[in-house]
Amino acid sequence: MLLRLNIADNRPLHEQVAGAIRRAIAEGECAPGDRLPPARELSLALGVNANTVLRGLRALRDEGLLEFRRGRGVTVAGGAAGRSALMERVRELVADGARLGYSKGDLMEMIKEAQ
Amino acid sequence: MRDRDDRGGSKDGAPWGVAAWAAGILALLVVLPLTARRGLRERLATHWGGSGEPDGSLPLWAVVVVPAVIWAVLVAGAVVWRAARGWTTVVLASGGVLLAGVQVSVVRANLYAADWRDADSVTVGAAVTVAASLAAALAATRVGHRPRVAEKPAGEGPRMDIPAGERRVWLSRTVNPWLGLISAVAGVAAASVLLIGLSGLTETMWMLIVPLAMVSLAFLTCSSVRVLVTGRGVEAAFGPLAWPVRRWAPADIESARVETRTPAQVGGWGYRLSGLGTTVMLRSGECLVVRVKGKDFAVSVDDAERGAALLNSLTGMPAGRP
Repeated sequence: MLLRLNIADNRPLHEQVAGAIRRAIAEGECAPGDRLPPARELSLALGVNANTVLRGLRALRDEGLLEFRRGRGVTVAGGAAGRSALMERVRELVADGARLGYSKGDLMEMIKEAQ
Repeated sequence: MRDRDDRGGSKDGAPWGVAAWAAGILALLVVLPLTARRGLRERLATHWGGSGEPDGSLPLWAVVVVPAVIWAVLVAGAVVWRAARGWTTVVLASGGVLLAGVQVSVVRANLYAADWRDADSVTVGAAVTVAASLAAALAATRVGHRPRVAEKPAGEGPRMDIPAGERRVWLSRTVNPWLGLISAVAGVAAASVLLIGLSGLTETMWMLIVPLAMVSLAFLTCSSVRVLVTGRGVEAAFGPLAWPVRRWAPADIESARVETRTPAQVGGWGYRLSGLGTTVMLRSGECLVVRVKGKDFAVSVDDAERGAALLNSLTGMPAGRP
């Protein structure tokens, strides 16, 4: 799989790792059910600490993109691609909102009003 | 044609193999009669008549020296004589097997014989030796005439455009469950023999345990491979422990490309040295081929196209470099 990272990104590293994997899932680098490379391998590839990678992976599990299975490692959850793409857009929305001075609450109001 | 084809007598990547084979046979020819010295007389039967009775003899020192000299001349001839180049593998394979077989047969026939005239018959040994030698020649012919695919000039690999401000890494992994299974079977067998030995039922048979354990380890190491392409170059790690690891810095990498290779082409599964260079063959199909200092290193991994493209872009070599 090919992972893309933004050099100028100044978010915390674990969020960058999560972002790279989220993007990989959204772009079909790994299909639902596929096993993700072990955290140690990802840490080597990305040049970050394995614990940081695990933190990023856990965040993705909480988003419902990954499944942690005992003995099977980390796999991509069913329907993760669409969800991943959507999550990426939501993140962009939140980031853009923050840049323009809108809080998440403001954005939620806007989403509710949007029809 | 690449320069190494004009150099020396042996095939690409094979000089070490030839040297190891030559040294191994030489050691066998010399060491075998010497270790069996206690069971041998001053003179040994070295020639047998049609009836299977020995009719010629040589002193022990000659039995040690003569085959070794023949072998040395054969190796030197095969390596140095340029016209024989295509036949090097065949000559060395069959000649080595033949000499080793003859030496084993002679020592075996003479072992514990009161006099060289009482030596056993060597008919069976001779037949087996000739058959093995022919088989070796045949196998060597196949090895020697393997198709060569790696004649493409370096630098014509795929490339990918990396947008400014983006860092890309590529990882891929291949697992061959069969090699893992063989490793497990050998490992269990080694452990069983060891435990039986420890329980006192039999002696601890290290002669069985050590080879089995080594086979298990070797297969385990070859059962999986993962390849990593990053800004630091390319890295191939073997086995579940990701050890051993082979790494190449971007500066050493000339180019990367994709090739379809089969186990038949490279001589089997696992870590293979052949006319195509080094191949880590875990399954037939697409391989990522990295050219480092004029030598090819190939790994059978999926998605090799993008791995090669990323590697070419990272090493920053202009496309179409000669």
